Amino acid sequence: MSISEQAHVVRGVDHAAFPTFDPRATITFYRDVLGFPVVHATCALGWGPGDHPDFIHFFFDIGNGDRLAFFYYFGVAPYRDAAIPELIHRARHLAIHVDSEEHLLEYRRRLDASDWPCELQVRHETVESIYVTDPNGYLMEITRPLRAITIEDDIDADVSVDALMDVAGEDEPTLEKFFARKATLIAERYMGEAEQVTFA
Amino acid sequence: MTVLYVLDVADFRPLAEVASKEPDTTVHRRGPYLEVEAAGGIRIERGATGCRNAVWYSSVAAVAGGRVARWDKVELVVEPIDEAP
Repeated sequence: MSISEQAHVVRGVDHAAFPTFDPRATITFYRDVLGFPVVHATCALGWGPGDHPDFIHFFFDIGNGDRLAFFYYFGVAPYRDAAIPELIHRARHLAIHVDSEEHLLEYRRRLDASDWPCELQVRHETVESIYVTDPNGYLMEITRPLRAITIEDDIDADVSVDALMDVAGEDEPTLEKFFARKATLIAERYMGEAEQVTFA
Repeated sequence: MTVLYVLDVADFRPLAEVASKEPDTTVHRRGPYLEVEAAGGIRIERGATGCRNAVWYSSVAAVAGGRVARWDKVELVVEPIDEAP
């Protein structure tokens, strides 16, 4: 089969990788507290440029065949983004999926029994999530669906992104301008007679 | 004329239902959206919708001929603005 017509053939996350300067705490947190199996580790002499440090690249299974990986570099001084604003820090996160409330609460129980208790549990629009900061300072979320995503949600997402493309290309984008642009797109795409709705 | 669009899914449908009880307010189905249209402004009391926090603050899909003047834990108010000629 040809993939020349932009067929959507990617298959999820192979791995997401982050540096760690505390491999003991990282392994304790992911393997021993959360119970994510270690599935691979590359132990390598520095490569490429002569000054590349020796490292261990180790992987945890996060379900579905997807993996979360860390690099530990020998002899490299710990680094953290100290000046990062809280908003930006919390925007950068990995969210791991579970299917049910029972499974979400099981991970909450494991966290609460550890040195890294759950920091926040929130029912969002379509998902319920728990949050914890891992030993490296990375925000991590575990989330379960609250309802099925429908075709209406998908259509709305397309309209939203098209409106955002337009508004973000103008000076001083605002939510107000976004709502107005989106209303124009809706009126254009679904013009014509609209059925009146009454509520019983 | 002020128009508020909400997506026609169970989470957001209560906004259209609450709004429809006000005078001079009609609701039409436009594609996957409920189009709430009012001669003046649109005021929707959150308590009457039963929406929890995250659903309430993500309930507006689009606004035409108006602007969101208030959107807090008590109510959503869309005020009419002068439309461009």
